[in-house]
Amino acid sequence: MAEVFFSSWGGNVIDNRQGGEPQASTFKLPENYLDEGNVGAFMGWDGIIVLNKDVDIVKMAAEYMKRVQEKYCCAKCTPGKRGTRVMMDTLSRVLAGHGNEGDLDTLTGLADLLENCKCTLCMTAAKPVLDTVKHFRDDYLAYMRGERKSKPAIAYHDKLTAPCMDRCPAHIDIPAYVEEIKDYRHDESLATIREYMPIPAVCGRVCPHPCESACRRALVDEPVSIMVLKRVASDHELLHHQQPPMQPKPSTGKQIMVVGAGPAGLTTAYYLALEGHKVKIIDMLTEPGGTVAVGIPDYRMPRPLLQREADIIAALGVEIEYGVKLGRDVSLRELKEQYDAVFLGTGAFKSKPMGVEGEDEGYNGFSEGGIHYLRAVALGEGMVTPKRVIVVGGGNTAIDCVRVALREGCEDSILVYRRTRKEMPAESYEVDDAEEENVQFEFLRNPTRLIVEDNTVVGVEVIKMELGEPDDSGRRRPVEVAGSEYVIPCDMVIPAIGQDPDLGYLEEGDYGIKQTRWNSIVTNGGTMMTDNEGVFAGGDCEYGAMTVVLAVGHGRRAARVMHRYLTEGKVYLDQEDTMEDIINNLNIFDDKENVGICGGLHREHQPKIAGAERAQNYGEIELAMPESQAVREAERCLRCYRVAMLAVQ
Amino acid sequence: MINLKIDGKDVQIASGATILAAAEAVGIKIPTLCYLKKVSPTGACRVCAVEVEGADKTMTACNTRAVDGMVVTTQSEKLAGIRRQIVELLLVNHPLDCPVCDAGGECELQDICYSQNVVRQPFEADDVNAATIDHWPLIQQVPSRCIMCEKCVKTCHETIGSSALSVNEKGDKAFIDKDLDKCEFCGNCVQVCPTGTMISKPFKFKARPWELRKTASVCTLCSAQCQVDMHSKQGKVLRVTSEDGSTVNDGNLCVGGFFGHDYLNSDQRLTTPLIDQQTSSWEIALDKVAAELSRVRDELGGQAIAGLASPHLTNEENYLFQKLFRVALASNNIDSEARFGNLRAAKVLNEQLKLSGASNHIDRIGQAEAVLVFGADLRSEAPALNWQVQLAARKNDTRLIVANQRKIKLVKQAESFLQYRVGSEVYLAGALAKLLVEKGQADNDFLNQFVGNRDELEAYLKQLDLVAACAATGLTLAQLEEAADHLGQAASVAIIIGRDVIGSVQAEAAVAALANLALVSGALHGDHSGLYPVTTKGNMQGLIDAGVAPEFLPGLQDYTAAKNKFESSWQVKLPEGGADAAGILAGIEQGTIRALFLAGTNPLVGFPESARWRKALEKLEILVVQDILASELTQLATVVLPGAASAEKRGSVTALDQRVNKLKIAVAPPGEARPDVAILSELFARLSDKPEPSEKALRQEMMDLSGGYADVCQNLEQRSFCWKQAYAPAAKSLLAATPALTTPEAAELQLLIGKCPFQFGTTTTYSAANHELAPAGLIIVNPADAAKLGVADGGHLKVTGPVGSAIGKVMINEMVPAGLITASDNFTDMNIQQIMPSGSNCVAVTALKA
Repeated sequence: MAEVFFSSWGGNVIDNRQGGEPQASTFKLPENYLDEGNVGAFMGWDGIIVLNKDVDIVKMAAEYMKRVQEKYCCAKCTPGKRGTRVMMDTLSRVLAGHGNEGDLDTLTGLADLLENCKCTLCMTAAKPVLDTVKHFRDDYLAYMRGERKSKPAIAYHDKLTAPCMDRCPAHIDIPAYVEEIKDYRHDESLATIREYMPIPAVCGRVCPHPCESACRRALVDEPVSIMVLKRVASDHELLHHQQPPMQPKPSTGKQIMVVGAGPAGLTTAYYLALEGHKVKIIDMLTEPGGTVAVGIPDYRMPRPLLQREADIIAALGVEIEYGVKLGRDVSLRELKEQYDAVFLGTGAFKSKPMGVEGEDEGYNGFSEGGIHYLRAVALGEGMVTPKRVIVVGGGNTAIDCVRVALREGCEDSILVYRRTRKEMPAESYEVDDAEEENVQFEFLRNPTRLIVEDNTVVGVEVIKMELGEPDDSGRRRPVEVAGSEYVIPCDMVIPAIGQDPDLGYLEEGDYGIKQTRWNSIVTNGGTMMTDNEGVFAGGDCEYGAMTVVLAVGHGRRAARVMHRYLTEGKVYLDQEDTMEDIINNLNIFDDKENVGICGGLHREHQPKIAGAERAQNYGEIELAMPESQAVREAERCLRCYRVAMLAVQ
Repeated sequence: MINLKIDGKDVQIASGATILAAAEAVGIKIPTLCYLKKVSPTGACRVCAVEVEGADKTMTACNTRAVDGMVVTTQSEKLAGIRRQIVELLLVNHPLDCPVCDAGGECELQDICYSQNVVRQPFEADDVNAATIDHWPLIQQVPSRCIMCEKCVKTCHETIGSSALSVNEKGDKAFIDKDLDKCEFCGNCVQVCPTGTMISKPFKFKARPWELRKTASVCTLCSAQCQVDMHSKQGKVLRVTSEDGSTVNDGNLCVGGFFGHDYLNSDQRLTTPLIDQQTSSWEIALDKVAAELSRVRDELGGQAIAGLASPHLTNEENYLFQKLFRVALASNNIDSEARFGNLRAAKVLNEQLKLSGASNHIDRIGQAEAVLVFGADLRSEAPALNWQVQLAARKNDTRLIVANQRKIKLVKQAESFLQYRVGSEVYLAGALAKLLVEKGQADNDFLNQFVGNRDELEAYLKQLDLVAACAATGLTLAQLEEAADHLGQAASVAIIIGRDVIGSVQAEAAVAALANLALVSGALHGDHSGLYPVTTKGNMQGLIDAGVAPEFLPGLQDYTAAKNKFESSWQVKLPEGGADAAGILAGIEQGTIRALFLAGTNPLVGFPESARWRKALEKLEILVVQDILASELTQLATVVLPGAASAEKRGSVTALDQRVNKLKIAVAPPGEARPDVAILSELFARLSDKPEPSEKALRQEMMDLSGGYADVCQNLEQRSFCWKQAYAPAAKSLLAATPALTTPEAAELQLLIGKCPFQFGTTTTYSAANHELAPAGLIIVNPADAAKLGVADGGHLKVTGPVGSAIGKVMINEMVPAGLITASDNFTDMNIQQIMPSGSNCVAVTALKA
């Protein structure tokens, strides 16, 4: 990490300008910016960070304000539109040697006035400029005395971001699409979403929405219902029977193979197809969606909608062939030879073992794993669910299994988890939903042994647990209570501990594709390319079982890099990617921030089918949010844009 | 309800209200600039910043929702400073052209400078304002005067539904830009602009606002009849505006209302009576008309005289017109263009549903839970209804169903688009009704209480074959089911029936089928429901109500049945028989009708078989034309009587939703032209032994004798409008119909005629502004048909129908499906009506590149 020359970041001044023992910083900035040079300084919503003493900070402040005004200011509020213009022109006057001390007062006064802006873009943009005036006043005065000529950096790179969009693995421009809903422009909203993610019907329904945990509105009252607003935009097109407007660019003649029609594969295919590349997807299943299709039950994610998303992507010229499995029906070598590039989005379909006696004996009534059970049910593979089912695990898959079991006719659907409800990784509203459907919970219980009669499971022996000291994940570690074993009778056991990628298709000669010790594929430096040139990977097979939105983020990044690889023959991150990654490392969201506005407005919730009866079918539980309600919810968005700029020195 | 404190005052207000609304409720005025009540708050200007206890930052009152326990301060030194600085920023590089700026004197920026004591400019910046935009038709944009309030953008998108305006560029260079293809030229952007940024080119430099005399009246270009203010100077109407909040149209206007008034000042206005095309005095002209008509009456009997009245006339004028004929000329040969559509619909609705027009007010459409727009292009037929549909679909979660042969602009907002085949309306409406009944979604309470023949309705719907309905309409069962579901799930339903249906060859059957659907769906039930047959022209409803038709006396009273009542009131024997428009045309051709009186109507353009009418008119002994604009028709006339436009006369007119509006005189008629009521009164006195009736006496008489107006409009003198009696049918008084289900005949190419969105009748073709937008009629052709016909966009087609041919310029557009071409009937040059048979707006045609 680079040594800091000066920083006002986060209100915490580190001043090493006078020499002596350098004060350390906590933020993470890289030393170099691509191959352009050193990172000289960084400017943004929370102040300035100067790494290189030669950076002309006045010039940088002027450049920053110019970009804020000319590139990012939406012009939709008076102080933002005119205030940043006056600031920009004042700074450029200073640079030209025509400034006076009164100009510094103007800048300070305007920074104050910008506190009244409609959103935080221009408001926070005043902060670093104010910091330069405060901490680098002598540099300004030197300009005013005519003692200094401006000294630009090698390059300046800027980026618009927001806490939510930074936190979102797909980096969707959330404030934009929310504002478009607020303005009754649902088509535009959906178009904005599609710039970053091609499966809004999915991510408007089943996304764990990390963005909402970085929503500043939560610091005032409750976070904006960002995910549901995405569904609103997507539902609007669907309910109005509108044809999606996207048109691919002219054909490039390049052929790409995408393995896996899950979120990662579909996303990669979508963005590559839009660039004019010819994409083919193969998938081992008989329908699109991967884990989303066969791992998320229809009452959460109706598959016809997933099919529609795939159809939209196919309509861009993407060919999808189902029932073809990599490693079984075709080898990676063949694909590599036939296509200009290959993307692996093969997911994580191998269930983790429970680690109990007898689980690999092939007993009747013992499911290979949650993901297998869900898939067999989803695809109608003749899975018969008996009356009493035990599901082991505390994640979303475990919850899906207990709820699907109910819908498959099971009478006692029991979830066994070794910690308490509080530690469950599953979304808490889903646990509530399961409870509402009369799922039984056995917390602080861990299976120790399968009870088998005539080669058939008849129960599970469990041991009671209690919570001890926190482990690495911060959750309290469950500890066995000695001698507390007892048996819970059941007809079926489904372990839902987790999934790993199944990379069997790499065979022995792995084609130079490295794997982690968790059986996931290694890609390099955010390019999503493996060590095998031209072979890219993303989603669960790269990261390990994670979220749909992460897979989408991977897919989009992979498509961007693949496009460069295909058209320029080079694999690299561009300015946007690089700035995105640098900012992501800084962590924009400050959960201690005093936002300083009044709130008291509750988050809007979409209507929902209530009651245990709903567990009798697979009808969608969450219903479309009326648009007027969505507009009301969108009005709660604080539009927390920020502009970052980096100087390469 | 929530409680809060503003400037020390306790306020109680409904939850969800903004701080601004809460302050307004207790009379605290917070300064605003970008706030416009009818659109969503923008929060752009920041002038309404207030302090809220517990918040470090100021909050904008216009878009911050009040919450319980809030303590708000609206006036403080800090706030005054912020507001002043904000306005100072607004004025950076604002041009000092107030003396020649159109908004000067009515500029909100001027007002806010004054009220916030902005007297200096501490800020400076480069002037990077975009250049003035001059190339847009009718509207000039001066970005340097813009304060980016976005009122125009929001009105355009949210209220009008054009979505033509947007913010272009970033930062201080940003300006309001326009997608000209989407612009409807309604002028609302000019109206809502607080400064002189959006300027009406026709009005520019014509007058200072304080020189204008404002007359509150109504626009009569379409039958929604928006409330307007006519601004006049030196006897000329120079602009028309409308006020937000206090008008039925909430200040919104369309291209007709805002720009269309210029025909008033046309050099084609008739200014003196003409006899044989020579200027005459009123005395001589009226004597001549009276003498000729009484001669024919006395020699050949009243049946040799005929008259056609018009939706351009007021209620009193139309009433007097029929009375003049029946009482003074002993003729019942009276009719109007209502014959070709609206009267046919009115008859069916009157018989079946006891309706004499729409069943509810226009502004209820916006509140309905489901709206079905059937065969109507509201954007051109009745823009005020379109705004209601926009409100419904955009802001009130209304399920919108559009049934249309064309993919009209509204389809984009529809959750269900039923693109039916020509002639399948009965099947379509019937199938929807059937599905509602089958799925248990019919309004059974209403059916039980009000419908006299429910069994018949159910038997009829039962035998309706959905497979046949799908085949006839070209729609899938899933599409029908989806639409029916939207209607069935809604607690309130508005059904709007447009000209495609009302003017069609099977109008009676189609309207009957839609009346059934209205009964079944609950459209006649409840505050927010309604059935709205669209009448396109100004006072069409008043014309129908006045009884200008041989089979009706005023108030849609059956001529034979109500004859005695009128005979005793009028103390005459009323004539027997009587010819309608077709009969009149045939009578002229056969020589049995020798004299024709046309009051504000022009069969040469407005009527089907217009070419046949032309020939017939040439055969007449006497043709009296009372009108306001010179035309081909006035050239054929024996006597021309110059009448007055609605802005130039008193009287009442009735909107399609039963609102009776009072016209006020904004300017005097040009030259010697007279209000039509005066002309008709003088003729009445000359042709009968009775005195000249006054306009007020006529209104009273009409109220006394015609049902719907009775007791309602007594004090219209003191008000700007009143409502006819509300729709309240008696128990079991409504009848379902059993219209014949016919499968439409296939034709290779069909022509559907309608209305040009930029023109209103032929009247506005005399307005320079409308002429600039739509100088000539267009034939709209699907690309596939254009390719087949070998015609390019802008080329010409000769279209031949059963009774003639017409030539028009081609516009290629996917809005029309292959096999259908459309044309508008507003243009004299194309005169599309010359190829249309009577009683049909859609015919099989052949087309050839011309």
